[in-house]
Amino acid sequence: MTQTPQTAPEPEVMIRLENLTKRFPGTQRNAVDGLTLDIHAGEIVVLVGPSGCGKTTTMKMINRIIEPTSGRIILGGEDVTTTNADQLRRRIGYVIQQTGLFPHLTIGENVATVPKLLGWDAARTRSRVDELLSMVNMDPDEYRGRYPKQLSGGQQQRVGVARALGGDPQVMLMDEPFGAIDPITRERLQNEFLRLQSEVRKTIVFVTHDIDEAIKMGDRIAILQEGSSIAQYDTPEKILTAPANDFVRDFIGGGASLKRLSLSRVRDIELASWPTVSAADSLEQAHRVLRESDHSAVLVLDTEGRPARWVGAEDLRRGAGQSLDRIGTVPQAVVESRATLSDALNELIAARYAVTVVVDQDGRHLGVVDIEQINEAIRSMRHSAVAEARTEFADGRTAP
Amino acid sequence: MEFLEFLGNRADDLLEMGLAHAAIVGAAVLIATVIGVALGIATYRTERPREFVLAITGTFLTIPSFALFILLLGPLGLGWPPVLFALVLYGLLPVVRNTITGLREVDPAVIESAQGMGLNRRQRLLRIELPLAWPVVITGVRVTTLVLLGIAAIGAVVNGPGYGEMIFTGLARVGTPVAVNMVLAGTLGVIVLAVLFDLIFYTVQRLTTSRGIR
Ligand SMILES: Nc1ncnc2c1ncn2[C@@H]1O[C@H](COP(=O)(O)OP(=O)(O)OP(=O)(O)O)[C@@H](O)[C@H]1O
Ligand SMILES: [Mg+2]
Repeated sequence: MTQTPQTAPEPEVMIRLENLTKRFPGTQRNAVDGLTLDIHAGEIVVLVGPSGCGKTTTMKMINRIIEPTSGRIILGGEDVTTTNADQLRRRIGYVIQQTGLFPHLTIGENVATVPKLLGWDAARTRSRVDELLSMVNMDPDEYRGRYPKQLSGGQQQRVGVARALGGDPQVMLMDEPFGAIDPITRERLQNEFLRLQSEVRKTIVFVTHDIDEAIKMGDRIAILQEGSSIAQYDTPEKILTAPANDFVRDFIGGGASLKRLSLSRVRDIELASWPTVSAADSLEQAHRVLRESDHSAVLVLDTEGRPARWVGAEDLRRGAGQSLDRIGTVPQAVVESRATLSDALNELIAARYAVTVVVDQDGRHLGVVDIEQINEAIRSMRHSAVAEARTEFADGRTAP
Repeated sequence: MEFLEFLGNRADDLLEMGLAHAAIVGAAVLIATVIGVALGIATYRTERPREFVLAITGTFLTIPSFALFILLLGPLGLGWPPVLFALVLYGLLPVVRNTITGLREVDPAVIESAQGMGLNRRQRLLRIELPLAWPVVITGVRVTTLVLLGIAAIGAVVNGPGYGEMIFTGLARVGTPVAVNMVLAGTLGVIVLAVLFDLIFYTVQRLTTSRGIR
């Protein structure tokens, strides 16, 4: 009897770069030198590396904003190295750091650009525009008619993403899309984008020079050296636990264990509980709950179950006669359950009661994260990394 | 007031001259705009042709208008043809220069993202670059109009239409009481036209410039 081996199906290759090379006229060296890379469908591949290593050049060769000197680009099995570039680009979303929104067109017209190029009728275009704006958390009725200059930087970048998704492309190219945005907004946009990607499942090439962003966003990371030569092309876990060479080790830099906190989401660990009361409860009830717990404050939830206030014993005494949602302090350290442990730790460090409150998508309280749980997460990651390295060694495989 | 009386007596003449003046300048501005914008579009991306076009159209402006009108007498004769021809030459530089400046000032990131979305060269030019350069272009057209209104008056040396006739007749009669009135009326006519044209351009500019770049 013959047995068919049960092999997992190889994921489809969406973009294949073959020996791709670019030499700019009048320069001595190849900006991209014989790069070969397979990018699988539905994955975010991050190109990361020091400034000038060729990330942008590599990316712009995929939609042929920069024409390769030699080599081939294969998109979904089709060689597109010399096909009509304009038609190719309508199938590829493109987001750049400077957003490049058309300042003389409204947000709605900006987002409608590719649908119009593709000849969609007015009704279909309009409903697509509204759908895309909602997808990037912008109320279509409020923003459709505005002009780019009437939006904040973060909102402009959201519109940039919506516009790139216009023609429902299979592939998106993003060059440092969140690079020019303040850290807090950047983090929010990153999280939103990951949520969006979990719905749309595009094949994404994402350029950044920030290793932390690479670890957070990437399903796979290509760490590039000068001339876009690949130092390591692997999952974030592998890159952090088994850097292929000194260049990668240096590039990751110190604090690899801390960086690995970006790999786990808050929803993946068990949350700690914290005493809560409802905003409608009396101060006496809050007092009782507080006394029975070994914590120094209770968390007041509003009628929807969303965190409203931290209230400590001192607040209860001074606020006598007022309702619970008028005393104490507003919780600042709050993250969604899809946030990374690194996000949670960041919040925790500055938090009043040394915990980060975790909420669901609608802002309802789920529990808290404290330093103990973060420690525990680091310990277990280290264990599993060691265990994995052992089995690979036993299998006779060498580190990639 | 003697001058007001003069204006009252010659009102019909003045109106007719005003219309003729406006017509020849309007026609010259239109032609200069079409040619100037076309030259700008054709050359703004390449350095040599760009510098060449700017140098040539700049040179036109340095020719004394009096001389040019006389020189054109030979090939084009008397009346409006030499005037129109000369006005177009004088009107090119502001239009060409502003077209080139406007197109070159468009944010490269905007053009790149248009390219990245698959707009071809022509679509980029018509839908993105020209609309964005438009306020600068139309400012050039405004300048051209003001310059040409003045130069057109000198066209009277070759029997061109407009207020020039009034001014030149007045100059020929210097010393008589009516001379000052004629020169003054002609000059005033040009100024009134300038104000009217500017009002029109202001309105057109507002109506044709997107709110997003105002
Ligand atoms: N148009 C050009 N002409 C000549 N050389 C260029 C051109 N564009 C890029 N280069 C060179 O090619 C190399 C790679 O540039 P590229 O923009 O791809 O780098 P990068 O990895 O994106 O860097 P950064 O992180 O700073 O954006 C650099 O040495 C750069 O100087
Ligand atoms: Mg770059």
